Amino acid sequence: MLAPPRPGWSRRAQYGVFFSFIAALVGLAIGLVMLALSIAAPHAFRNVRGVGIDLMAPISGGLSQIAATVSGLVGGAGNYWDSANQNGALKRQRDAMARQLMLARTIQLENRELKAALQLRERTGDAIATGRLVSSSFQSPRRFAVLSVGRSDGVAVGMPVRSAEGLIGRVLDSGSQASRVLLVSDRANIVPARLLRTGQAVISQGRGDGSVDLKPLEVGRNPFRRGDIVVTSGTGGLYPPLVPLARVIRLADDGAVAVPVADPGSTSFALVQPAYEPQASAAAPAAQAAP
Amino acid sequence: MVRSALKSKRRIGEGPVAAAAYVPAASVVFASLLASLPIISNNGWFPDFAFLILIGWRLLRSDPFPAWWAAPLGFWNDLVTGTPIGFSVTVWTAALVALDLGDRRTLFHDYWVEWALAVLLVLTSEWAQLQVAAWMGAALPFFTLLPPVLISAASFPLFAFIIARLDHWRLGRQ
Repeated sequence: MLAPPRPGWSRRAQYGVFFSFIAALVGLAIGLVMLALSIAAPHAFRNVRGVGIDLMAPISGGLSQIAATVSGLVGGAGNYWDSANQNGALKRQRDAMARQLMLARTIQLENRELKAALQLRERTGDAIATGRLVSSSFQSPRRFAVLSVGRSDGVAVGMPVRSAEGLIGRVLDSGSQASRVLLVSDRANIVPARLLRTGQAVISQGRGDGSVDLKPLEVGRNPFRRGDIVVTSGTGGLYPPLVPLARVIRLADDGAVAVPVADPGSTSFALVQPAYEPQASAAAPAAQAAP
Repeated sequence: MVRSALKSKRRIGEGPVAAAAYVPAASVVFASLLASLPIISNNGWFPDFAFLILIGWRLLRSDPFPAWWAAPLGFWNDLVTGTPIGFSVTVWTAALVALDLGDRRTLFHDYWVEWALAVLLVLTSEWAQLQVAAWMGAALPFFTLLPPVLISAASFPLFAFIIARLDHWRLGRQ
């Protein structure tokens, strides 16, 4: 019943088909064992997955350079179009920014004096490595990106990754030359955060489609408004505090839907930082397994 | 009339290309490598190129590769695309074994049947991927697999066309 059809009266051909069928069943069994191991013990294949990233990242890197050059040529030509109007708009914007910058400098000074008064020590996370996002998991429901720096640059699993705009995610696998980043918009990536306007603690969880779900930690009135900015809170010690995370675009019945401030697609450079509290990176896989 | 119809149209020097038996597997290996394209997408709606090529070959012919070749090919796919190691090994081998078993019961096979089978296999594969993601802590609602399945279903004819051209080329037919 289960065996494949007999290919005729040739004994040799019959054995060939039969053993091929047995080999397929063996392959299926091996696959199931490996898959179970991947699910139950994500560390098991860490080295193998690192090799896979190292194989692919140079190809992605080369291709993304070509794509960047081509889109740069097209975009560069587009910038000349209507440049006089753009120039005027940018000048107005610059003047407005200069006024805000002045205000921000005074606040910074005040902040520094207040912190000195409180004897707060800042753990500044200097960037360990700077790389480019060269590819992403465009065929999978999970949201990963491939970053062009790896173990040889000091990158280790669990380190937070950010761009100048905001948080991108954290390192999930690292090869020697490249690493895979779990993006903020992945379902398994849960980031403790704060509402910038009120300071209220919220939780961000990816939705797998480039946006995140925001939920307030305290039950009560929905604290979100459209356009609200959410920053990381540093709770849990994995992500550094006060990194811009997401902007609210839509309210939901018990929270809000937001888009990450740092769009991985338009990020030119990504910084890998040390885990905010070093012992947290050891606990990162456990946080990943939590639903 | 009959004799001329039976006469081979092949000319001297034409015929299967070198290593024609390995062209199908090589095309699957290459399709896995397409995951390195520098596409940074906010959703995973692109079709699974290598899986479509694999089942496309198997639906076109019964003998492009033995079913057990799906295991090493799937391992390569897992390695380079970043799916959990063992996922493609399992799903691809299961798909080929299922098609081998199904071939015993199928009386005829036309293009619409192939397309329906391909959509069924892609749906199963995407569902399995969603289930594995849920076990790894990323539980997503079921309807999230509809866009990728629809896109894969719509693009299967393209893949089938490419495979048919490859098959003609490797066998040296005009």
